[in-house]
Amino acid sequence: MRNTAIIGCGQTPHRARRRDVSVAELVSEAVSAALEDAGITMKDVDCIFSGNMQGFGGIAQPDLWLGDWIGAPGKPAIRIATGGTTGGSVAHGALYAVASGMYDIALAVAWEKHSDSKEAGATTGLAHVGMGNLFHALSYGLSLKNLIATTAVGAAAGVAVYQARFYMHRSGATIEHLDMVAAKDRRNAAKNPYAHLRWPNCQPEDIAKTEMIAYPFRYGHVCPASDGASCIVVAEEKLAKKLCKKPAWLLGLASYSDEENQLQSENYGGVGVLDPSEQMGCRVSAKKAYAMAGITDPQKEIDLAEIYQPFPSQELIFAERLGLFDDGTAWRYLEKGETDINGSMPTDLSGGVNATNAIGSSALQRVLECALQIMGKAGEHQAAKPVHKAIAHGWGGVTNYITVTILGDSPR
Amino acid sequence: MGYIKDEIPQTMMVEGDWQVGAYRYKANRLLEEYTQGLKQKKIIGSLCLGCGKVIVPPRAICGRCHRRQEERREVSPIGTITCFVISPPVVRGKYKLFGLDPVDTGALKEGEILVPCFVRFDGSDSNVACLLLNADPQKVFIGMRVKAVWAEKLEGKMSDLEGVEPLEK
Repeated sequence: MRNTAIIGCGQTPHRARRRDVSVAELVSEAVSAALEDAGITMKDVDCIFSGNMQGFGGIAQPDLWLGDWIGAPGKPAIRIATGGTTGGSVAHGALYAVASGMYDIALAVAWEKHSDSKEAGATTGLAHVGMGNLFHALSYGLSLKNLIATTAVGAAAGVAVYQARFYMHRSGATIEHLDMVAAKDRRNAAKNPYAHLRWPNCQPEDIAKTEMIAYPFRYGHVCPASDGASCIVVAEEKLAKKLCKKPAWLLGLASYSDEENQLQSENYGGVGVLDPSEQMGCRVSAKKAYAMAGITDPQKEIDLAEIYQPFPSQELIFAERLGLFDDGTAWRYLEKGETDINGSMPTDLSGGVNATNAIGSSALQRVLECALQIMGKAGEHQAAKPVHKAIAHGWGGVTNYITVTILGDSPR
Repeated sequence: MGYIKDEIPQTMMVEGDWQVGAYRYKANRLLEEYTQGLKQKKIIGSLCLGCGKVIVPPRAICGRCHRRQEERREVSPIGTITCFVISPPVVRGKYKLFGLDPVDTGALKEGEILVPCFVRFDGSDSNVACLLLNADPQKVFIGMRVKAVWAEKLEGKMSDLEGVEPLEK
């Protein structure tokens, strides 16, 4: 593969309701910002990768009309939708296209505009994903009470709460640790002008005061539904060196999916995944990406992580699954403040998905934030230590689809 | 290039209908075997000859070793809780599911506390998501022994297995 780098990053501020813009205008804001950051115009871009979560956003087939709105009619365009990981896959699409030698400059843009759907969290979009399976179970006489209690409630939250339970049981983490993660993420978000839930000096006690949704999740643990878009510009080695002072180089990437570990799987059959926090897809993705990047000891070699963590337990689970901490120990490092801005393994300094969740955009934001940290452009939330190698992670809802992207300050 | 947003301050809301029930979904018939078993108070799983795991409800192909699962095994109605979640008391008018209030539909009672749990029935290797009934939410723990609660009238439906309850009270 060719050496490939991210040379420009752009995002919109993420907010609850962007009623002043349509989806296309929202996307064009991020694209314009990324092009300006890279110091190029749309004329220089060879191809476009775009995406939002399937069924979300209220508008069908954005790939058909988006090119015109971002000033790129007639350019090769591909839409990618892989659920929660959409942004990660969109980034991978652009990285693949340039690394393969097919195009020299590619643009990856991902977004979500939750407020376009009347129901919070775009319930209709999720219904679209699970409706077939749900009706199948109902036709076999699933009772309404069981449907509500075990199947339909909470979508990703409903799955993550069981995942959290399993993790807490085997690692010894407590609900106080979840409060600590959420408070840290809100505090970090306050330093990131593009984040949604910005809460300066948020303390675990503040989170602990919020209402209990389903033990062990409180209201303060849960991510918001945001409107927003993010965009990266990817270029091959010569152009990257010419256009950008400090590009973020691609070192390794991988995406895997494990057996579906939804409460009851496809066709409502049983599931072999005994522990939903096992996340084998993440282990395998990380292993593959590290091998590609020539990283043998991630605990020493990785300087910073951006983890896809709509729920605080996931920051702990996935940090371990990415090999950043030993199994069951992430909360000990959290207690010591090692995942803070001045810690040894700063994690989600942007506030992460826990503070900002425009679903399509979320996994691309992780890649983008890693790039910003490597370029030294993160501003107020720039890590205290120098960032040479950073890892970006994406989690795809219930189906265990994971994207991992490793960036560095020098080419492979 | 002028943006439309410069001229129009707010996006417009358009009402519409969406037939979410109008899907064709390719399903298998494995739940038929499972629900027919429930009718006789039997919990049936599939045995994988590759990895030896018994998965409840039965599935067509093992998610781990990808073998077709032809064998069936009956597992015990007694099992162990591997995971549980506690809901706050149900309040009428607080939550809606597809526009319906669960209390109004009669599915849940006002003030009720739900304890959804994962149960691993003895002889199986998978978790079944169901409700823990007749238990004090404060006294539930992982590893708690439970037994199946059957509906008064068995009809060969998924609702025949109402949930589980503590083995010892």
